[in-house]
Amino acid sequence: MFLTLYPEREILLRDRYRLLLYFAVLALFATAPLRARAQGNYEVQVYGSDTVAPKSTMVELHSNFTPKGSTKTDDGTYPTNHQLHETLEITQGINSWSEVGFYLFTSWQDGHGVQWVGDHIRPRVRVPDSWHWPVGVSVSTEVGYQRSQYSPDTWTWEIRPIVDKSIGRWYLAVNPALERTWHGPDTNQGVGFSPAAKVGYDFTRKISGGVEYYGNFGRVWSFSALHDQQQQLFAVTDLNVSPKWELNFGVGMGATSATDHLIIKAIVGRRFNWGKQSPVD
Amino acid sequence: MTAVSLLGRRLPALAETADYSLTIGPCAFEVAPRKFIKTTAYNNQVPGPLLRMRAGAPVTVHVTNQSSNNEVVHWHGLFLPPEVDGAMEEGTPHIAPGASATYTFTPEPAGLRWYHTHVMAGSDMKKGLYSGQFGVLWVEPRESRGRYDEEFFLTLHDWDGTMTSSDDGSMSAVYGVSTINGRTLGFGEPLRVKQGQRVMMHVVNTSATEPHWLALAGHRVRVVALDGNPVPTPTTVEMLHLSPAERISAEVVMDNPGVWVLGEVRKHVQAAGMGIVVEYAGSSGKPKWVQPQTLHWDYLQFGTKPIVESSAELKATMVPLIFESKFAGHGAMDRWMINGKSFPDTETLSLRKGQRYRLVFKNKSRDDHPVHLHRHSFEVRRWNGRETSGILKDTILVSAGKEAEVEFTADRTGLSLFHCHQQDHMDMGFMMLFRCS
Repeated sequence: MFLTLYPEREILLRDRYRLLLYFAVLALFATAPLRARAQGNYEVQVYGSDTVAPKSTMVELHSNFTPKGSTKTDDGTYPTNHQLHETLEITQGINSWSEVGFYLFTSWQDGHGVQWVGDHIRPRVRVPDSWHWPVGVSVSTEVGYQRSQYSPDTWTWEIRPIVDKSIGRWYLAVNPALERTWHGPDTNQGVGFSPAAKVGYDFTRKISGGVEYYGNFGRVWSFSALHDQQQQLFAVTDLNVSPKWELNFGVGMGATSATDHLIIKAIVGRRFNWGKQSPVD
Repeated sequence: MTAVSLLGRRLPALAETADYSLTIGPCAFEVAPRKFIKTTAYNNQVPGPLLRMRAGAPVTVHVTNQSSNNEVVHWHGLFLPPEVDGAMEEGTPHIAPGASATYTFTPEPAGLRWYHTHVMAGSDMKKGLYSGQFGVLWVEPRESRGRYDEEFFLTLHDWDGTMTSSDDGSMSAVYGVSTINGRTLGFGEPLRVKQGQRVMMHVVNTSATEPHWLALAGHRVRVVALDGNPVPTPTTVEMLHLSPAERISAEVVMDNPGVWVLGEVRKHVQAAGMGIVVEYAGSSGKPKWVQPQTLHWDYLQFGTKPIVESSAELKATMVPLIFESKFAGHGAMDRWMINGKSFPDTETLSLRKGQRYRLVFKNKSRDDHPVHLHRHSFEVRRWNGRETSGILKDTILVSAGKEAEVEFTADRTGLSLFHCHQQDHMDMGFMMLFRCS
């Protein structure tokens, strides 16, 4: 296997500065004194640092069912109990170190039927292998709209640093995400802190198991009281049956009153390669 | 006559009387304009100096280790005793940092050989064959095999490696830079030729882990030797394929004037730098590359029809060797096994001197393995289900999921190392010893 010099040329000094500038601009946004609230359980996933390869598209279906969720309307949003969320995620590789993802969120619930919830776009860049960093690092930023029946904050933005590392059979990933609201009741509430983390273990080449953690602490520098925070822990398994497929299943428990108490999730992803695949490429 | 003497300190007198001197030490060399690679190399150059020896004429090589690691120099493809062959597993003493060794041996057989470090690298992508410790060793035959107007020695190497998880769930090396004779395409001197010349290209794949495909735009090449040994059926081909440690000698008739690229066929590898300009006298301009659309290579086109085995040959003892991997996690390199065991726990195979053996390789893994037998050449008898004869090699590719069979006569006493020549596979247990007595 080879890295091409093309991406390396693309990431010569000038491009490194451009990348750093990009990170700096994102960091500047993140310092604004805002507060945001968590999105619903539409995409329950701890990101790894890798990006989708160029000329490739990853299509994922995130299915999340909440057997035990909120039963009352909160800030005008529907209760989450027995909601089934189906999210279609399409991620296109741009080059060896960047990708763009698109999300289509839907919800099904007895009495409401199938509803369109919203859409997001998520560009992401990563540190190329040629930089020889000891850990995988990437940064994604996600912007999008969701209907007020499902989230009172309709326009939200997120920056998600992603750090991961495989050590033998162990896999560690941390996503200390920051969120803010652009439109909705929390617009002036500052930046929210929503970390996620994963610890996985390879039982075999094809079967891994582990724990995923998802939290929402509320405002940065001024965390909400514990019972108002969202704290979830998932027991998950990843099936590495083929480079073309991504399969992740899990059961999550909410630990606070603000968290849905039981969620079942599934991610089924399929990678598609575009263009004529030539042995000499 | 063969001997090796280890010296705790360098003795100038010995070094001066040696036929060749190699100094192992740090080296920074320029692979592209203002792009330097820091490595460990022989005599502060990449590749190391071309050593020309004469078959049957004893030589003395003085090696000084100015690196910070234990080192040993392996004389790849020569029929040497284990104490000088250059593998610590066979009993060749290592050369400690600051120490020297003097090797005295008689180079055999004639042809294209090479020399390189033979230490473990593990996860250090600057050590072992990931480094610049390699060079070409040309053993002149007693009688000339033919005259050529020009002779070029070319080494293919990959640099700036990183271990990453691959699609098959295992760790494997990826590289940022690939070179021919330590330079990327367009940097350094071109190969200068004249119209009508017959040119001999001696190509060595010195890469730690990567196979390479090589083509000369505007020309076809005629393969005359594999691993330094003349082939029964010299054949003209569009491109060459060399797994790590393999060598090919191919002649080219320079009948298409211009400025051409001799380069890696795969686009991303050529983009990483693997190529060299071939310039006809009187020609100028941008080097031209003609991109092949397929990859094709078949060892057997250079062999002869399978011989009807005589009763003596039927006595070849079959030795099945099954290659498998053991998963160690997506963040670790697989453990490699021969017949279910990893080195040093692999069985040491006892060979009877003079006996003919047939090694039956069954690769049950997902990776290709260029396997190498020290101190011997073997005859390829079967490859990917087809019979052949007459091809003598010391390294052969056993593709993932495929089988190959080779024969050799155990005519050199002592230990001989057998291993996959991919540095990461060798480091992770893909080795075993044969003991001939």
